Amino acid sequence: MRPEPEADGEIVRAVLAGDRERYAQLVERYRDRYARYAARMLGSADAAEDAVQDAFVRAFDQLSQCKEPDKFVGWFFLILRNRCFAERRRSRTETSLEAAETVAAADRTEGGAETAERRRALQLALMALTPDQREVFVLKHVEGLSYGEIAERLSTSVPSLKMRMHRAYDKLREQLREHT
Amino acid sequence: MSEHEFHPLVKQLLDGDITLAALPPELRAEGEEALHLLAAVDRSPVQLPAVSRRVMRAVASRPARSVWRRVVEPRDVRLRIRPWLLAPALAIAAALILFLRPAPTAAPGSLITVRFVLVAPDAHEVSLAGTFNRWDAHATPLVRSGPTGVWTATLTLAAGQHQYAFVVDGVRWVPDPGAPAVDDGFGRRNSVLTL
Repeated sequence: MRPEPEADGEIVRAVLAGDRERYAQLVERYRDRYARYAARMLGSADAAEDAVQDAFVRAFDQLSQCKEPDKFVGWFFLILRNRCFAERRRSRTETSLEAAETVAAADRTEGGAETAERRRALQLALMALTPDQREVFVLKHVEGLSYGEIAERLSTSVPSLKMRMHRAYDKLREQLREHT
Repeated sequence: MSEHEFHPLVKQLLDGDITLAALPPELRAEGEEALHLLAAVDRSPVQLPAVSRRVMRAVASRPARSVWRRVVEPRDVRLRIRPWLLAPALAIAAALILFLRPAPTAAPGSLITVRFVLVAPDAHEVSLAGTFNRWDAHATPLVRSGPTGVWTATLTLAAGQHQYAFVVDGVRWVPDPGAPAVDDGFGRRNSVLTL
């Protein structure tokens, strides 16, 4: 019988009590789960790696401010989200073409050149959205969350998310038509 | 509506609220274009195996976590005393922590005045190191009061959990045997103070 995985809250409390090595369990548990979100938000696996790493270190530094240890992952997500948004503000002027190439390159073995090209075009179009628009698209269509789940995670309303998303659809269509 | 805007029904299709078959015939082509867009979404996993090592290296280099919080509200005065026993080499020694403003229901963010008292007649100097002063063994010296060897320091700490130890004569780190203690990961035991 496999042992039950230890709850996040237990690990957080152990780390706060001084057992900092236990923090590795949280990193292992959520590292890759949020890597994809960061990669699609930032358009680059390298940028995602930096963002996820920074977010985990920042979360450790601020762990005593995690008021609900059992909800560590939601709290961590907001730290990572802030980091991703800050990164985009910092590098707004940079071209994302190279970044989209990086993301698409990793997929070429999975679905052939055509799939890779379509993914690359969409990733480029995604980078033309505002971070808010891109985030709701990524959470719904990459991460598979419902509008209700996204609203809860971002503390906003479903109608507001839908408005953001519908603008994103139009902009993506415009971008894809212009560049394909 | 601009030429790039999807029809509202097509947006419902993209949202997964309706199927392609539910679209009127004149919107089928637009619907197929929309589904083609979604088909290009990249859901392949991203793995970052190197992150764990880098994060834990950064974590290990941290001297201590900061647990400082802001002052929000005062609280009632209460007194609690904990006996302190030092190692035999320090002769008769005992530490008392006098909580001048604690309460078991400490609100997050509130501040509590805590008096640390160590009875160490043979000590030449005593200080306090903990999460509240970044484990700086020189930042918080205790003051000796009188010939009985009573050393004291009064600090105002944020509600929450703190770790600490006394540093006697600059070299001997002594945890509080009357308080819960945790391994600090470097072979020492830290006392845990929950306010």
